Amino acid sequence: MLGHYGWRVLKSPIFARVLFPFTMLALWLVSLDTIEKIWPFAIDVLPTPGEVGRFMWNELITETLARRNLYETFWISLRRLLTGFVIAMVVGTIIGLIMGLFRAANAFFHDWTMVLLAMPALAWALFNSLIFGFGDKGPIITVILAGIPFVIVNVREGVRNTPRELFDMARSYQVPRLKTTRHVLFPSLMPFMFAAARYCFSIGWKGLVIAEVFGGQDGAGWTIKFWYDAHRAHGVVGYAAFFVIFAILFERAVFEPISKRTFRWRPNLAGAEIVEEVFDEENTLEDFASVPSSEMIDDNE
Amino acid sequence: MAEIKIRNLHKEFGIGEDKVVALDDVNLEISGHVFVSIVGPSGCGKSTLLNILSGIETPTSGVVEMTSEGHEAAPGYVFQAARLLPWRTVRDNLLFVQDDRSEASKKRCQRYLDMVQLGDKGEKFPGELSGGMQQRVGIARAFSIEPDVLFMDEPFSHLDAITARSLRRELHHMWVETRKTVVFVTHDVGEAVELSNRILVFAKGGRLEDDIEIDLPFPRDPADEEVAVAKARVLRKFEELDLLAT
Repeated sequence: MLGHYGWRVLKSPIFARVLFPFTMLALWLVSLDTIEKIWPFAIDVLPTPGEVGRFMWNELITETLARRNLYETFWISLRRLLTGFVIAMVVGTIIGLIMGLFRAANAFFHDWTMVLLAMPALAWALFNSLIFGFGDKGPIITVILAGIPFVIVNVREGVRNTPRELFDMARSYQVPRLKTTRHVLFPSLMPFMFAAARYCFSIGWKGLVIAEVFGGQDGAGWTIKFWYDAHRAHGVVGYAAFFVIFAILFERAVFEPISKRTFRWRPNLAGAEIVEEVFDEENTLEDFASVPSSEMIDDNE
Repeated sequence: MAEIKIRNLHKEFGIGEDKVVALDDVNLEISGHVFVSIVGPSGCGKSTLLNILSGIETPTSGVVEMTSEGHEAAPGYVFQAARLLPWRTVRDNLLFVQDDRSEASKKRCQRYLDMVQLGDKGEKFPGELSGGMQQRVGIARAFSIEPDVLFMDEPFSHLDAITARSLRRELHHMWVETRKTVVFVTHDVGEAVELSNRILVFAKGGRLEDDIEIDLPFPRDPADEEVAVAKARVLRKFEELDLLAT
């Protein structure tokens, strides 16, 4: 009935991707209907897709009951996130480099890095709001503490995985050390730095929101709590959706373009194809046949 | 013309029971426009010798002198794998080993890329090239610094037979054209006989066992009787020294 073309559309990954939000919307509506039948009072606190959509639209056009509009709120959070992110990246990179280069430094920092990795962001958020009270300091320090172990571990692994054979090559050509550091060490660290930045950003963002819930007077985390306190479920769901949209936009608008530019040398990213060897006319199969291969002594030095 | 003098060269790795002798009292002289191949079984110290000559490793004891026209000879190195910077274009890989990025350096790099028939691939990244082309870039890089002496460590062993054959021809032409001193490590006796004036035979434990002169005209065709006889002569030496892999 569908025909060959119809089946191809149904089986395509693009169709599957488009299908997902519609499936979720249908599930949402079916769940609401089911819950209403089982427990009619619950429907008063469960938002419908329409309510959430209207709330998000009103927020986007800055019609809000909250103290600050959506853009001011996200700007405050973004400022805190970027401050914490930059500090975590700088300090984490320095510690990671030292740990990768010196075994004693690795031994010194190792256990503390593990402690930081194991500590949930929630614990940092509570701890920092107790110490610093309301304001910028608590959320920023939470971002730093939540993000920094991921930076340290990634940079350390990057240093440990630097391509030794390329350093040997540079040394055999008597390339100055500074030039080797710039053209060999730093580029080889870039994939690890990117992994570090992405982890630091996403973990830091989650930590920041929690810190703002407990120790903020403004910001995205504080605002979602505002809607929770106001018993506006559509506000909580709508704001959570804004968090996700913000994180995705940041990934698409910042990380992806930088990543594409930095790693354009990778054939799979550049979409390039391997150029095949083209032989001149002299190199025929006869030549190939005339090369005896029995003289191999050992091929494993 | 480059001149290499090696006196009582000794290299050990590890200590105590783990100690391994890579080179044992090697004495050697190489000079002029020669193509010297070093052959021998696995672990005979062939690559270690090149690494010491190029300054990547230091000897345990002994003296290495490399001079050219009264000054210290500048080496170029072609490795077993091309060892290109994957994040730099082909042209930038050649410029990386130059003293500067002057117009003269750029022109020189282009000349050697042309020589290995990759003149139009300067803006490609190494990952976009085949293995054979990457090795050609490695060869162009080594020649582009116009070294006094060129070290090559099994440069064609990772390549298929047709590509290796093509590159051997190119290398021979470049050697004739540039008149460099070349020290070439290989495990392929046929390759050594096809390319070299001299073949140094190393045995396990890093001992230099024999120094064979191959006095045949170039270019050499592996199918020629004289070349086949020379190859048989070297292989016989291997049998005498019990160096053939079992």
